[in-house]
Amino acid sequence: MSLLYLLARWLDRISPAPIAYAHCDIPCGIYDPHHAQLAAHTVVRMVDLINLLEKPGASATPEQRQEYTNKLARYIATKEQHSEIAKNEIRILWGDYFKPEHLKTFPELHDLVWKALKTGSKARQEINLQVAEDLLKATNDIASIYWKTKGFETITVKAPYPTERLTVYPKFK
Amino acid sequence: MFPLRRFRVEDDSMHPELQPGDYVLVNRWAYKFRPPAKGDLVVVRDPETPDRFLVKRISDVPDAGQIRLAGDNANRSRDSRTFGPIDLREIVGKVWIRLR
Repeated sequence: MSLLYLLARWLDRISPAPIAYAHCDIPCGIYDPHHAQLAAHTVVRMVDLINLLEKPGASATPEQRQEYTNKLARYIATKEQHSEIAKNEIRILWGDYFKPEHLKTFPELHDLVWKALKTGSKARQEINLQVAEDLLKATNDIASIYWKTKGFETITVKAPYPTERLTVYPKFK
Repeated sequence: MFPLRRFRVEDDSMHPELQPGDYVLVNRWAYKFRPPAKGDLVVVRDPETPDRFLVKRISDVPDAGQIRLAGDNANRSRDSRTFGPIDLREIVGKVWIRLR
């Protein structure tokens, strides 16, 4: 402990030194667009499953109708939830991660996020494969920008899920 | 304006250069005579919380009016990676000596 340190500490009694923070806000900067992409995949999958579901014909038994209704209700509920998860994850990236300097580099970001949220709403409202795929595409485009801001290249490959749709992944060095 | 001002350091992002409890004496006139340079240790006004000061290292000087900041301890630092470059006007001064 130096003499000057003791002097500085003594001065604190007269007039406390302001604090200079070598600061860290916890949790600092833990973001990932993968949550949004994953949720969009689930939405695509639910629309696929709904379209594959055989509709009960005129001669269907009450049990068959019940089974159909049960499956349909479950797929729709999951589609609702995961559209909302995708929207929420996009909002988190938009509100908490992306900064004005990112917007300078990627001026299309504002429009992209805005459309992604609207597509998320439409994916809830409708059983529409094109809309579900548009939502996935929007999350991929956001992911692509996110990883660029982090200094990573991306690759676009078929996802290893039943949806098998093209998905943006970071190329970690 | 007296050139020297003292600050007490809190938190860990500049470890081991600065530790919580250290004092730093800051030269407020340092950049009257020369521009800020990469590697300088500076005290700045927190761009996200007015009335608060941060002590960080200049990681880049992208143009004459702005600097980028980084903590030495990158895993535990909130700096220009989150809040972007900051204006030169936000610099309080350059760290002249550290007292421990």
